[in-house]
Amino acid sequence: MLRAGLITLVQLAFCAVAAAQTQTAEPLNLDGAKGLLSSYCGNCHMGDSAIAGFNLDQAQDEASLLLRPQQWSSAARRVRDMEMPPRGQPAPTPDEREALASWIEGTLRAGVCAVGLDPGPQPLRRLNRDEYPHSSARVLGVHFNAGAALPNDGAGGEGFDNAAETLFLSPMHAEKYLEAARQSLDYGLGDPRSRADFLIEPSDDLMAEAAAKATLERFLPRAFRRPVSEAEVRRYLDLFAAADRDDAPYDEAISFALQGVLMSPQFLFRVEQPNVNPQPQLVSDYELATRISYFLWGSMPDQELFDMAASGGLRDPDYLHNKVLCMLDDERSYEFAERFVEQWLGTRELGRDIQPDQNLFPVYDDAELQAAIRHEPILFFQDVLAGERSLLELIDSNFTFLNNKLQKHYGFHIKDLGQNPKRMEVPEDSGRGGILSMAAILAVSSYPHRTSPVLRGKWVLENLLGTPPPPPPPNVPELEENHGAVAARSLRERLEMHRRNVVCASCHDSIDPLGFGLENYDVLGRWRTSDKGMAIDARGALPNGVLFDGPKQLKAVLLERKDLFIRNLVSKMLGYALGRGLTLTDQCTIDRIVDELKDADYDAHTLILEIVNSVPFRYQPGTNPEARVILTEAP
Amino acid sequence: MKKLNLTRRSVLQGVGATLALPWLEAMTPAAHAAGGKPPVRMAAMFMANGVRQDMWTPAGEGGDFQRSPTLEPLAGLKSELTVLTNLWNQGSKGGEGHYVKTSGLLTCTTVTKTVGVDLNCNGVSMDQVAAQQRGKETPLPSLELACAPVSTGVDKNVGYTRVYGSHVSWSGPNTPLARETDPRLAYERLFRASQPGHGSSKRDLLLLDRVLEDAKDLRKQVGVDDRRRVDEYFTVVRSLEERLERASEPERMAWKPRADFDPSAKPEGKPDAHADHVRLMLDIIAVAFQTDTTRIATFMFGNSVSNQNFSFLDGVEGSHHSISHHQDDPDKLRQYQLINRWHVAQYAYLLQRLSEMKEGESSVLDNSMILFASGLRDGNSHNPHNLPLLLGGRGGGRIDSGRHLVYSKDSPLANLYVSMLDAFGTPLERFADSTGPLPGLLTS
Repeated sequence: MLRAGLITLVQLAFCAVAAAQTQTAEPLNLDGAKGLLSSYCGNCHMGDSAIAGFNLDQAQDEASLLLRPQQWSSAARRVRDMEMPPRGQPAPTPDEREALASWIEGTLRAGVCAVGLDPGPQPLRRLNRDEYPHSSARVLGVHFNAGAALPNDGAGGEGFDNAAETLFLSPMHAEKYLEAARQSLDYGLGDPRSRADFLIEPSDDLMAEAAAKATLERFLPRAFRRPVSEAEVRRYLDLFAAADRDDAPYDEAISFALQGVLMSPQFLFRVEQPNVNPQPQLVSDYELATRISYFLWGSMPDQELFDMAASGGLRDPDYLHNKVLCMLDDERSYEFAERFVEQWLGTRELGRDIQPDQNLFPVYDDAELQAAIRHEPILFFQDVLAGERSLLELIDSNFTFLNNKLQKHYGFHIKDLGQNPKRMEVPEDSGRGGILSMAAILAVSSYPHRTSPVLRGKWVLENLLGTPPPPPPPNVPELEENHGAVAARSLRERLEMHRRNVVCASCHDSIDPLGFGLENYDVLGRWRTSDKGMAIDARGALPNGVLFDGPKQLKAVLLERKDLFIRNLVSKMLGYALGRGLTLTDQCTIDRIVDELKDADYDAHTLILEIVNSVPFRYQPGTNPEARVILTEAP
Repeated sequence: MKKLNLTRRSVLQGVGATLALPWLEAMTPAAHAAGGKPPVRMAAMFMANGVRQDMWTPAGEGGDFQRSPTLEPLAGLKSELTVLTNLWNQGSKGGEGHYVKTSGLLTCTTVTKTVGVDLNCNGVSMDQVAAQQRGKETPLPSLELACAPVSTGVDKNVGYTRVYGSHVSWSGPNTPLARETDPRLAYERLFRASQPGHGSSKRDLLLLDRVLEDAKDLRKQVGVDDRRRVDEYFTVVRSLEERLERASEPERMAWKPRADFDPSAKPEGKPDAHADHVRLMLDIIAVAFQTDTTRIATFMFGNSVSNQNFSFLDGVEGSHHSISHHQDDPDKLRQYQLINRWHVAQYAYLLQRLSEMKEGESSVLDNSMILFASGLRDGNSHNPHNLPLLLGGRGGGRIDSGRHLVYSKDSPLANLYVSMLDAFGTPLERFADSTGPLPGLLTS
């Protein structure tokens, strides 16, 4: 954990380091990497006429990569994405590609991380379509969804719609914010409890203007998430006064002023004071409270966080530790679990772009079952985070969240569970436990009318292991296991035929077997042992020779790859927490958190606490982009 | 304002086969005093995932062409239709199969590969070029509609954010325009915008002034990188302020529309069935054009890589994108064509509606240019050569419609936009990679 007094800052000075560990079985060393670079890249990238100023003659050792980290980072990406070497040039094998890209990245990372941690960019973040209504409901103390009419936000960075870079604004937003603020205030003024919460009424002893001032003095710091100046209060009081001059009743005039507050960029954006010093510095206590509460609750800090920010108590490591755990235990963390899980696992598209065919699966036409399917991964994730549980339980666990309809759907009956999902141990050998056996996940990785081992294998690689396969090369059709002319063969036979094509096999050998391991689940995640009269064959053989049969063994295979899974989960969570895409230097923070998690047996609390305590989460970068934060472990 | 003879029908309450919004049938052309030539309208309809090639292109050229099977639903509209063959969008070549071909469709540029940070289409879409010049003449400068919300997440397989696949309208290189997907909200928005100077708008102006002051202060406070975001906020608030100002002076609007809104005809919300949803959104465009609430619209039937389940069509089983990867399998190709044809039928519905809306001697369709386009030709090969393109309407008499225009291979799509922008009344010399107007499209 950070101890502020022990932090020193140094200028970045690159130094040579040994090649870092890569993810593949056989990591490259310097000579191996140089060999690949000269065979496949040397034609264009050597000598005085090296294309794009990318000259391999200048790459004699690891240290030389660190002189141009952005250029090399982009080179690694382009090699991995098969953009380089360009088409028509001799190309490395997929293993060589991965090895070279990993070597470049590992080398950069080792060099970059050796000199300290970088807070990275901290862009201005607009409240997104989920944060906005929760924030306005919180400041007004109303249960009113002010965001219902807002357009959806797109995702950036690690795939979340809170990434600052994709939170753009359209003219439509301005009119919707205006309308939403008006509606929220109408609602709040009409509700006696919330009215008392945010409004100070004029009385015989309190003139209207004084009551308005008192209202604003209480309302503004809440809305702006920080103390406000006299001048700021006066600005909004001016709005009140203008309406008052028109003889508007008190309610109408104060509502008008508060509408202005809710339209202010100080409310709609999470504004932080920029750091004008060269070195990174800790964000203010109010800013930290805000970062934490939008991370764990997707909404405003509560009064306690504001109070602790005001008193300086938020910096106390023990207090913060306990507060974070309480926040995870609070029902508001559902918001976080929902937004994180549905975007991480792609289940948000269920019922949007992805819709199981209700003609083929009439059982799905049941709102109660649909809701249980949708909530299962969210409740499960929330439970893993709140309890003292291992993150590996996400892959395999002995419990899940079921209601009556969902347990029936899964083909067993524990006891009468009613309509609301409850945390239940799953029967042995029921095929349940972990997110891979959940209907929502199995449905979003299927076609509307049937399952697809290719889609499911791709889903596992991309979402669980963080190793998305590259796109199919241009003009090679996606493998589509269709009906029609070749329907006589089994799906497995057709996929095997497809893999005889070496171009296809290079990726599908890794994709398809993972999907076959899940063939015991139908489109809706129901257990099956046969499909259209053919027995299910859920065996898979991975390129490294590992064999497995069925979901239980598949989960064991994935647990063997827990390093990839954990690293991917940490990256996703850090991207979500920071509300931005991750940079090369964020990899250093990820390395540290992954190490901490290994030491803590993958304890879920450790993940959240380490992120809250991480440099990117707590610091603003300085004006010198190369300045770093050096952390010294507390004794 | 002229009182119109609008009758209410309650077809929307019971969502059935006929979902047409009641006002479309109820609005009779009123005797209209205001003179002047009706304005030209322009819309672009985006369909994801390309077309079955052999069923798309009509045989024959010029006025003497035979409808292709996929264009069958346009049978009654042949005289209002222009089929365009052999145009391509060079800027959207490469990258990957879908996202660049969607964001680049109306910009004719190559979008920057990114999962977010460098979001940039490197241009402005043609609809927004028009809106930025003449959008001030209507209550809403333009209207962006879609059926599916922005797709979730980023596509790590290809390294693009799905924001690119969910937007065709770009007001600037970094600013895609958010789309309305709920017909009720879209209708409310049109209605609000069309009501000049209603109750509180003067006070709203004061409030927006206050907010703009806040934005100016914030701009001074934040770092260089964040100024762009604050400027964006400033721009959208300012645009609302301008609109409210314009709305309070209705006499500034040159054209008096021949139909008014019926606020009670508001749709109920998003229907469950895709077909019903599409129809309602098309109705919104029709009424927006008829009431002159805007003259520019874009619509996305689906986002790129749409997996919309089309099993509601007889003979189709499965989702749009997976069927479009047909691999020349006859059964897939058959289904693919049915999906294409369904889209064309919806397009024909919109054209039909607009043609029934009379404006003096002409119809709204006569005074419109309704583009139907996909960002790629064939769903298997994902290339932007010989794009499937249809243009409906006569552009206010500038387009000699009823023809199949076949150009030399790989003529720039941008040339079509140069001609359309000319007919719209916002001519420009060059647009993206254009080499001039599209020969033979415009009459003068």
